[in-house]
Amino acid sequence: MTRWVVLAWAAFLAVPLAAQSVRGRLEGRIPSAAIPAVDSLIQFASQEGLPTEPLIQKALEGGAKHATGPRIVAAVQVSLGQLRDARDVLVRAGDQPPVLPAEMTTVAWALRRGLPAPVVERVVAALARPPRAAAMHAVADLVAHRFDPDSAAGLIIEAVRDGVPRERLLDVSAAVLQQVQRGHTRAEALASVRRELPNLPAPSKPTRGNVAGARRPAPPTPP
Amino acid sequence: MNTIDPRIHQALDGELASQAVPAELRRTVAQLAAAADLLAALPPGPAASLESRVMAAIRRPAPSPARRVIRWLVTPRAIVLRVRPAWSVAFAAAVAALTLFTAGDEGPELAEHEGIAQFVGRFPEAQSVHAVGTFNDWRPGSIALKDQDHDGVWRATVVLPAGTYEYMFVVDGERWVPDHLAERLVADDFGRENSIVIVRPARR
Repeated sequence: MTRWVVLAWAAFLAVPLAAQSVRGRLEGRIPSAAIPAVDSLIQFASQEGLPTEPLIQKALEGGAKHATGPRIVAAVQVSLGQLRDARDVLVRAGDQPPVLPAEMTTVAWALRRGLPAPVVERVVAALARPPRAAAMHAVADLVAHRFDPDSAAGLIIEAVRDGVPRERLLDVSAAVLQQVQRGHTRAEALASVRRELPNLPAPSKPTRGNVAGARRPAPPTPP
Repeated sequence: MNTIDPRIHQALDGELASQAVPAELRRTVAQLAAAADLLAALPPGPAASLESRVMAAIRRPAPSPARRVIRWLVTPRAIVLRVRPAWSVAFAAAVAALTLFTAGDEGPELAEHEGIAQFVGRFPEAQSVHAVGTFNDWRPGSIALKDQDHDGVWRATVVLPAGTYEYMFVVDGERWVPDHLAERLVADDFGRENSIVIVRPARR
């Protein structure tokens, strides 16, 4: 009983604290008149179990690009709608609520990148367990290069069934695009890579020179 | 000096029959004959053994070149190195300087969940180019691209946590430009397009 009381108090205190930290991130970064509306949209998302970070990022992006307050609110609203759509797609495809925030973000990306919802559902249903980010991006990469969405999804699903590790699914789409660059038709490229599965060309890894020259981003300068 | 009676020599050499030896010499002849028999019956002495060992060592085949090299390598030898103290100090200083100045070239140590993102853009007239996106809360300034050879191509290589990021380039602090080399673009809901970079973990 005591534990439940503590948890209830923790939740009661956590929500305003989280709201305060969100406001803290937005203040000085977006027009102050837009903060209450954006904040309330973020609170809606939180209450619905949706990820809030994409909404915060959208608001910060709008502020950085000097968008007006109403435009920022509208963009955050659009993002909220995309996350709701993503959750619905995941539930329809068989994920049990509460759906993982990372998966909602992944599916929202896929929908924003132009994947039709039924294709996303097909991929989600075929890959029963998360993470599905690499699969979604692999399909979206092919669709962005004018591949038929169903054929693209079919290849990626087949790659998973043939034992290609999830983290290498982007190499599948890269191999197909490489075939197209070599002059093959899209159908030939898909067929050629499908024949070779689960074998794939070695992924390009960062060279020693790249790693040596890499730097961590500098701490952000205050506005 | 005592001289041996020649008849004893003859008796010992068998030239004179023992009966022919005068009675006063017979005892001496018998003692000397017994001593000669004793010497003849002795086993091979130390002199013979030494000779055989020396000869065996001479006849042993020479070791192979590899064996000789190994023996040379494992045999302890005294090395005398004469160095002026000034030279040793200079050598130590050179090693320290090399360690200090080359340490930065190794680059950062990547964690398991981190990867490398490369940003490249061609902006011939630009004075500054920054990568701005979800990796730095859309705050310009933290990832500056550089045009080291002044050919108009700006580059930055950064370590980021593995994941998917949206970004744009900010040229001269005011112009927002998508990365035209990025293969992935998405509408930004502000009338432009963001580029997408997927950072894969470097340790796979």
